[in-house]
Amino acid sequence: MARMKFLCDAERCIECNGCVTACKSEHDIPWGVNRRRVVTLNDGVPGEKSISVACMHCSDAPCMAVCPVDCFYQTSEGIVLHDKDLCIGCGYCFYACPFGAPQFPQDGAFGLRGKMDKCTFCAGGPEADNSEAEYKKYGRNRLAEGKLPACAEMCSTKALLGGDADVISDIYRNRVMKRGKGSEVWGWGTAYGKPDAKPATPPGAKS
Amino acid sequence: MSRPFLCERLMPVVGILVALVFSPIVHAADAGRAQEQAQRQQTQPGNNAPMWRDVRGGVKQTTQVRGVETNVLMQPSGQSWREVRPPMSLAGGLLIAAALLALFAFYQWRGPIGVHEAGTGKLIKRFSDAERLTHWTVAISVCILAVTGLILSFGKYMLLPIIGYTLFSWLAMFAKNLHNFVAPVFFFMLPVMIVLFVRDNLPGPGDLKWLLTFGGMFSKSGHETPSGRFNMGEKALFWFMVCALGVVLCLSGAVMLFPNFDQGRQIMQSANIVHVISALVMIFAASFHIYLGTVGQRGAYEGMRTGYVDETWAKEHHQLWYDQVKAGHARQHFADDAPDAVRAQVADGLKA
Ligand code: HEM
Ligand code: SF4
Ligand code: SF4
Repeated sequence: MARMKFLCDAERCIECNGCVTACKSEHDIPWGVNRRRVVTLNDGVPGEKSISVACMHCSDAPCMAVCPVDCFYQTSEGIVLHDKDLCIGCGYCFYACPFGAPQFPQDGAFGLRGKMDKCTFCAGGPEADNSEAEYKKYGRNRLAEGKLPACAEMCSTKALLGGDADVISDIYRNRVMKRGKGSEVWGWGTAYGKPDAKPATPPGAKS
Repeated sequence: MSRPFLCERLMPVVGILVALVFSPIVHAADAGRAQEQAQRQQTQPGNNAPMWRDVRGGVKQTTQVRGVETNVLMQPSGQSWREVRPPMSLAGGLLIAAALLALFAFYQWRGPIGVHEAGTGKLIKRFSDAERLTHWTVAISVCILAVTGLILSFGKYMLLPIIGYTLFSWLAMFAKNLHNFVAPVFFFMLPVMIVLFVRDNLPGPGDLKWLLTFGGMFSKSGHETPSGRFNMGEKALFWFMVCALGVVLCLSGAVMLFPNFDQGRQIMQSANIVHVISALVMIFAASFHIYLGTVGQRGAYEGMRTGYVDETWAKEHHQLWYDQVKAGHARQHFADDAPDAVRAQVADGLKA
């Protein structure tokens, strides 16, 4: 069984916000709500990096644990979805989520929260696949159409990968090998020394 | 307990309160390791450890998407909040359950506390209309806030399995909206209550003796320790429940109620924790007050309901105050003009 995950390659993301736009148009998301966003780390400083982030569909999801009406469910592919008919807009999932994924359309006075909205991994909600009701509440169900998430498909540099964990981690692993050093994956320099110390196996060499 | 230790213990509490008041200021503390990252690129190109450390620490960065904290890639405190809340709610729930059990046991043993002599039919106007209006507005709103709040805290475990998802979601939505709209009533009546009642809740003669004997509550036949208009138990509840917990509940609730002031998640998580603790302790304390104000003591409920008490009740439960009323030194007076319906009600309340 596939386990769906997102992976964003910080060495590739160029902060074009294409994924954000793709997501918004694919699902016809209302004003003020962005299911995906790009965060630039150390903007303007040499070595700045950008990362696209949305719901990561956590294994032990904090949102699911804290929801007072228990409206979340995890599909057999590991995708974390929720039922907007049950949601009461308390904001607890937003407090708990590490990635700021849950969003709230403002509903009336006092900043009252409406029903929570978040990335569905393009997998819709509890309604019948590709039904009108599902589209209205959760956006398009691309997975039911046999497609992958729109953001990752649209990514111009293929920094953002979305799909079966085994497949996308293989792609990423290959990239790291091809880049040769491997030290750009965080922590490696500290753990394995500076890159000018020659690696045991030269990059690209057949072993 | 040594002083530095006490300070250490109190610091987080003080910190949370200060943070609640000055929530926008906390943002200024977000420094970050941008320079360290830039230097690291010189010595170890591709080693992004300083940057990832910032990410783990929830440092503010840059984004094109507008909104509160959209520039924070990861917030670490949500996980702590998630872990802290359930055991805390459980402890509070057990505390309340223990209080209810203790009160039930006390009732079985002692029964309603009555008066030793029959009522004389001579009435004292104990509470003014303003006092009663304030008391009942606060009391009813606290009851609504408590029940709706408890539904949000424990409904998932205690009601949802019984009534199912659809019905419970409807109930929780109703509870949330009721909680959010009754909260302002509480918010505005609380200061009024403090102003109206503070005078007779200041320390006075007899307080210490009342405290040491616990009002004589635990002796079945004995008389109550003499007290002023309010006894030490009532005073303690006034200061602790109304002035301390009430204010803290209002402040922490407001932080969660108005997410549109751009306060970050950390401040709302802290507010939630403070709110849950104070709410559960408030419900715990209120259950004793409600017990004595209803089934626990004859004549008390009618006093607040009508504003009048029988002189026998006053002599029995607040002797020092009764002496003052008799001497004409109190602000409350004998009321010979009380309507007959009220007289009947007050007399009824004292009957065993
Ligand atoms: C005696 C008074 C009150 C009691 C007993 C009470 C009790 C509670 C409880 C038990 C919860 C659930 C907490 C959780 O499980 O996380 C809660 C949530 C909440 N309370 Fe209160 N509360 C009181 C007053 C207030 C006031 C005065 C305000 C606002 C000014 C307020 C605003 C909130 C908010 C915003 C929530 C979060 C849930 C939601 O959005 O509905 N509360 N309260
Ligand atoms: S909403 Fe947040 S906590 Fe929930 S699965 Fe998505 S990333 Fe994880
Ligand atoms: S906002 Fe909705 S989905 Fe989020 S915790 Fe509250 S009820 Fe659950």
